[in-house]
Amino acid sequence: MKSISLYEEKGSVLNKIAPESKILYIVAALVIPYLIGSRWVSLGFIIASILLLLSAKVIRKTVPILGVSGFVLITVLLIQGLFRAGNVTPILSLGPVVFYKEGVNFALGIVINVLNILLSFCVLILTTKPSDMIENFVRKGFSPRFGYVFISIFQIIPQMTETMATITDAQRSRGMETEGNLFIRVKAFIPLISPVVMSSLINTKERALALEVRGFNSTIQKTFLNDEKKIPADKWIQLGMVVAIVAAIVFRIVLVVMYFM
Amino acid sequence: MARIEIEHLKYQYPATTKLALDDISFSVEPGEFIGIIGKNESGKSTLCQAIAGLVPNFYKGSYGGKVMVGEIEVKTVEVNEMCKTVGIVFQNPFNQVTGSKLTVYEEISFGLENMGIPKVEMIKRIDEAMELLDIIKYKDRNPFDLSGGQMQRMAIASIIAMQPEVIILDEPTSQLDPQGREEVFQAVQKLSKKGITIIMVEHNMEKIAQYSDRVVLLNDTKLVAIDTPQKIFSRDDLDSFGVEAPVFTKICRGLHLKNEETGCYPVTLEEASRLFQRLVKEESHNE
Repeated sequence: MKSISLYEEKGSVLNKIAPESKILYIVAALVIPYLIGSRWVSLGFIIASILLLLSAKVIRKTVPILGVSGFVLITVLLIQGLFRAGNVTPILSLGPVVFYKEGVNFALGIVINVLNILLSFCVLILTTKPSDMIENFVRKGFSPRFGYVFISIFQIIPQMTETMATITDAQRSRGMETEGNLFIRVKAFIPLISPVVMSSLINTKERALALEVRGFNSTIQKTFLNDEKKIPADKWIQLGMVVAIVAAIVFRIVLVVMYFM
Repeated sequence: MARIEIEHLKYQYPATTKLALDDISFSVEPGEFIGIIGKNESGKSTLCQAIAGLVPNFYKGSYGGKVMVGEIEVKTVEVNEMCKTVGIVFQNPFNQVTGSKLTVYEEISFGLENMGIPKVEMIKRIDEAMELLDIIKYKDRNPFDLSGGQMQRMAIASIIAMQPEVIILDEPTSQLDPQGREEVFQAVQKLSKKGITIIMVEHNMEKIAQYSDRVVLLNDTKLVAIDTPQKIFSRDDLDSFGVEAPVFTKICRGLHLKNEETGCYPVTLEEASRLFQRLVKEESHNE
């Protein structure tokens, strides 16, 4: 079954940790380096994320994610290193092409921040079943309807894509041209859009009926088949993250106060 | 078990000018198997949805008359409340998959979670439903990976687990291959044997004749008749309602072979063969 979820069950500790702990980790990884204002803290979080992903045996799944953003990051490094306003100190010359320290330094800051964001999010999305995450939220008062919409997207979008492919094949078998220049492709889009929209509407109505007859809009307190995803250490992990964030805020306030004194 | 009482039911969908159901009245006894037949647009699906409360509570529209299931007047109860008493299975098995669960086992739990059933009870009901529908071997499969027949049985199991007193099946086999169709009919037969009231819309007249205690014949939004399959399929005007009799009935009609006790043509293979055997015996006695 195709799903757009990147989650993979590997039976690791990270798979068993509460999603809230991982979300707090993301918050910490993004907020603390900003508050402390040090690139080394970001680097520390990058290393921590890599170690966590290695322990969860999902590091290979980060390669395509980093590959896509890597191209953008290299472009940033090149442009800033070569052309950033205020570039004065050359660090590398390749004939007429000169890289400057200031530009490279600025670009490295961006690269580290982006890698930190990507890897910390990978810790969550590669090791957390979306349904577990939403179920935990619903248990804490999140709307089950929004929860359903969020979870079902992961399976229903691939199904809709398959429907689209089937309709495309059907129209192609009736002589519709789908390959060629832009005009041909735009022309092909018109006979596709009507059956796709109609079938989507019909499917949505039928699914809404099917949900309704299974008590989807019930106001009764929901129960759950699966136990809440958490381990005993979760409260300590969450406490640790909150303490670290609060400490970083205090550090920042002290820094600001000292600056004005 | 609940008795179903339909009195002068009229219904018109919103933004339409024609009645979808016109003065329908009949009742269904607890544990009965009712087949609903009629040509397209005769009101079969609308009637099913009226018993389940989707008409008018989901579709809105103009509604008259009364549908009672046990002590409940269907119109006055929300669908999410009504589903505890009346379960409904639709044509397209694919569109009945919620899309929010990753395994068949979890998929069946969806309705029970919404009903607030405690976990221990939930597991008991899911296991029972899966066993009854013979889908226990698929419990860890993704619902979208099942075949049409398996998916439809899962949809039925999802409804069964909610333990309704009445189950409505609206053309549950129309989109299935012959094997899938047979799987669903076997499952329905098991439910019927358990004493659950079943209302089934189906175009396969052989199956309707085989399983139904009584058959509702609809034509152009009106109730034509409700009677035993033998009486319904022996009607001389059946063709005028766009309904074909089972093949055994057609053969016997062609041979003018009626069951003398009932005055009707046989509707199943068993009935027809019994009649033939009796005739052969009588013939050999005469010789």
